[in-house]
Amino acid sequence: MDRPVGAALRRRVSRAGRTGVLERRALPLLAVATALLLVALFYYPVATVLVEAVREEGRFTFGPLVEVLTDEFYVVRVFGFTAWQAFLSTLASVALGLPGAWVLSRFEFRGRETLKSLTMVPFVLPSVMVAVGFYATFGAGGTLNDLLGALGLRRLDLLPSLGAIIVAHAFYNAPLVTRVTTAAWESVDAGAVETARSLGASPSRAFRDVVVPQLLPAVLMGATLTFVFTFASFPIVLALGGFEYATVEVFVYSAVRQLDYAEAAALATVESAVSLTLTAVYLRYEREQTAERRDVRPLARERLLPERWTDATAWTRDRLASRLAVAGYAGVVLVVFLGPIVSMVYASLTVDGGFTLDAYRFLLRRQVSGAAFQVRPLPAVLNSLAFGAATLVVALPMGVSMGVLTTRRFRGRVLVDALSMAPLAVSGIVVGLGLLRGLVFGVEAFGYRFTASGPAAIVAAHAVAAYPFVVRNVSPGLDGLDRTLVESARSLGASRVRALLDVELPLVWPGVVAGAAFAFAISVGEFDATVILAEGGDVYTMPVAVERFIGRRLGPATAMGTVLLAVTAASFVVIERVGGGFRG
Amino acid sequence: MNRTRREFLTAAGAGGTALLAGCQAEPLDEGTDTPADAGTEPTGTTTGTPEGADTLVVATYPPFVDAPSTSPGAWLKEEFESEFDATLVYQTPDSELNYYLERAIQGVEFEADVYVGLDTGQLIDADGRQGEGELTDPLFAEAGDLEGTDRLREGLQFDPRNRAVPFDTGYVSLVWNATMDDGEFAAPETFEGLTEPEYEGDLIAQNPTSAATGEAFMLHTVKQYGPDGFLDYWDRLRENGVTVLGSWTDAYSAYESEEAPMVVSYSTDQVYAAMEDQDLQKHQVRFLNDQGYANPEGMARFADSDAPGLAEEFMSFMLRPEVQAGIAQRNVAFPAIDDAPLPEDYSQYAMEPPEPVTFTYDELQGNVDEWTDQWARRFAGG
Repeated sequence: MDRPVGAALRRRVSRAGRTGVLERRALPLLAVATALLLVALFYYPVATVLVEAVREEGRFTFGPLVEVLTDEFYVVRVFGFTAWQAFLSTLASVALGLPGAWVLSRFEFRGRETLKSLTMVPFVLPSVMVAVGFYATFGAGGTLNDLLGALGLRRLDLLPSLGAIIVAHAFYNAPLVTRVTTAAWESVDAGAVETARSLGASPSRAFRDVVVPQLLPAVLMGATLTFVFTFASFPIVLALGGFEYATVEVFVYSAVRQLDYAEAAALATVESAVSLTLTAVYLRYEREQTAERRDVRPLARERLLPERWTDATAWTRDRLASRLAVAGYAGVVLVVFLGPIVSMVYASLTVDGGFTLDAYRFLLRRQVSGAAFQVRPLPAVLNSLAFGAATLVVALPMGVSMGVLTTRRFRGRVLVDALSMAPLAVSGIVVGLGLLRGLVFGVEAFGYRFTASGPAAIVAAHAVAAYPFVVRNVSPGLDGLDRTLVESARSLGASRVRALLDVELPLVWPGVVAGAAFAFAISVGEFDATVILAEGGDVYTMPVAVERFIGRRLGPATAMGTVLLAVTAASFVVIERVGGGFRG
Repeated sequence: MNRTRREFLTAAGAGGTALLAGCQAEPLDEGTDTPADAGTEPTGTTTGTPEGADTLVVATYPPFVDAPSTSPGAWLKEEFESEFDATLVYQTPDSELNYYLERAIQGVEFEADVYVGLDTGQLIDADGRQGEGELTDPLFAEAGDLEGTDRLREGLQFDPRNRAVPFDTGYVSLVWNATMDDGEFAAPETFEGLTEPEYEGDLIAQNPTSAATGEAFMLHTVKQYGPDGFLDYWDRLRENGVTVLGSWTDAYSAYESEEAPMVVSYSTDQVYAAMEDQDLQKHQVRFLNDQGYANPEGMARFADSDAPGLAEEFMSFMLRPEVQAGIAQRNVAFPAIDDAPLPEDYSQYAMEPPEPVTFTYDELQGNVDEWTDQWARRFAGG
């Protein structure tokens, strides 16, 4: 307790004594606004779609739903396979992501902070770019095979296959596991580990009994999210595995395309039910895991490289083993993450193996002389940044207030929590279709047709999709905080919001920054809602531009993909730097 | 329109929530107390361009105006506007025709006057939805005696009710890479050849439920083996290691990274390759059984267009020989008429099949969804 929390608190509290109604009512107001936004932008639109699964000709028959559930092909082949590949993808993501968290949270090295920021980058890459990168890296004539060939090894036929789907899913989701686990690891109290050690526990015993229980919720959260996302995966499956490996979402999409909404809704209902159930199970677990924490002093990080290489004492067996493990992991990271990303950038710079800047010239030309109805690069960049920033502004307060709300003890809390997490668990295609019917086409009431589209609606939709990440990143921390800290602040006269801002948030700050990075990433990477709400207008984003520039030549799309990569990578670094600054 | 919107916002207490900034409230048509001017004016939601009698709103798929290589959109707009005293405005919803179908069913007005880029399947979908929701009347109007329709090539007209008028056509065929297998590779001549062991794992096709080329190739196998036999043929294809990817882009980029020496694509493949100075050996075209599956693209006027006259003039304009040549080159397709003045070398790179085949509207109606479903269940069941 050497941090001057008490003094700062008293100072701020005395200032906050005169706060107005707004501050005292801020949390309930935010919660109500969040709920309204959820209903308007998520629950109502999604309901307009899902209702088709249970209603035929105006009556509730549950016909389409029953049809899907009694169809062996769907139940066994489609849902069975979807769950199986999601399970494998989750295993792969956790296996690939955990060592990353270990390296980032336990070692000190140059560029660690930057590397941590960049872990979010894969998250925003459009699937078509990932497919291009994967073919160039792991394909028959790809870099990996060239490398194997040069080493005189047997060439591998990796694509298309189930394996490729799983590795690509890990490409997207392992960073997520790394991210949330790193945040949790950085919040582990060094004091608790020291206490265990002083009581005679071996380092591994202390790790097992003290650190692991605090990491487990984060790891399982990463795993749950990965499962939910890969369960609803669709473009990656079709691009890298092919139709043989079709998932539920592939069938939802083709039903939507054939305008067979009853079947699409029925499939999507079952899909959402599975994802929501899983989310709820995780939330229950998270509740039970809560361990109370006081002011946290993070674990000290080890230097990755010794100060003097020649110092023999620096190279104990343990040290050597751990550094070799880090090096091995770095090799895997180079192949799985850097390989596809570099391949994509390389594709933007070459035609038939020759170096050219044609693709970037295309972007410039389109920027300068593109027609008004064509997508141009610069507005796409600016729109993406503006939507990302606005999403942060909306989603952070939403997420934090929901986090505070759902860490209170009340009946039905798990239900409220699960419902507020639903945007993560519902098929993107269904949300998109719902937005189209429920918002773009509008709702009739009181003799008016209410419609929503344009920038504000896009930001709201992004915020709804993003805020669950904020909740999930701050909520375990908030839940674990020592209640007495808040209570003493309140008894000193601080409003609930003051206590949150001055006491709770600083203590769970790594989670808030991680949530912010996620929220920004969700906004930048979002595609379905953006195109639907911006339909035909000029508020397109970077992924929309990538999609538009796809053609017979890979150049223009990969060049735009490279721009997206550079802009978002820079943004993540800025978010972490600014966010890290607050913590002091 | 603005007036009523302002009134509503004031009435609603303006402050409401931040959400309102992206919202609009329009009075409904059927209300008795709606202002006189509200019902007639289409809602300006998408383009924000002023609407009037001399504005033609053309709805089309995005690559028609916004492809990275070439697209006819900008050129067409310029040509049309230079001759007619009118403004041409494009709308390019990502969900293509489904966007307008949805609006029609929900009873929401839209501005589009003409849809450009309709195929047989989309027309069947649109007709199939008639009677649902607010979509009581036909979505498209009959084209009538359009100037230039007498020049249309035989066999391209796919709408038995003469609403959709073809403006270009493409042929789905195999594209193959003669440099593979150390320059030894040659694509088979027939459908049967594709199932031979020597072509194991050599073909990339697309998912018929999500890609137009995939659907055309599947329909071609239905043409060849009949509705009762095509699934067995696909079983043999699958045993021979065919890869079915999600979209044409997925498949083509896999083909370009030499995952397999053959891909289902268009017979105009060499036009791009030549334009980009690429190795034409990697862009050989094969018409299996000397056939190519024809996919004509049509245009049709929306029945409740505000500018039916201008829409008709536009459709006639699209059929003029020099415009036909311009569209064909920029959309890399074949013109819908015989005497379009194309440059000499165009036919050198754009291959026409000895025998074009296709299914008619009547043959597809009621069947295409079933065939696709059967295919999906058989193929994904593996």
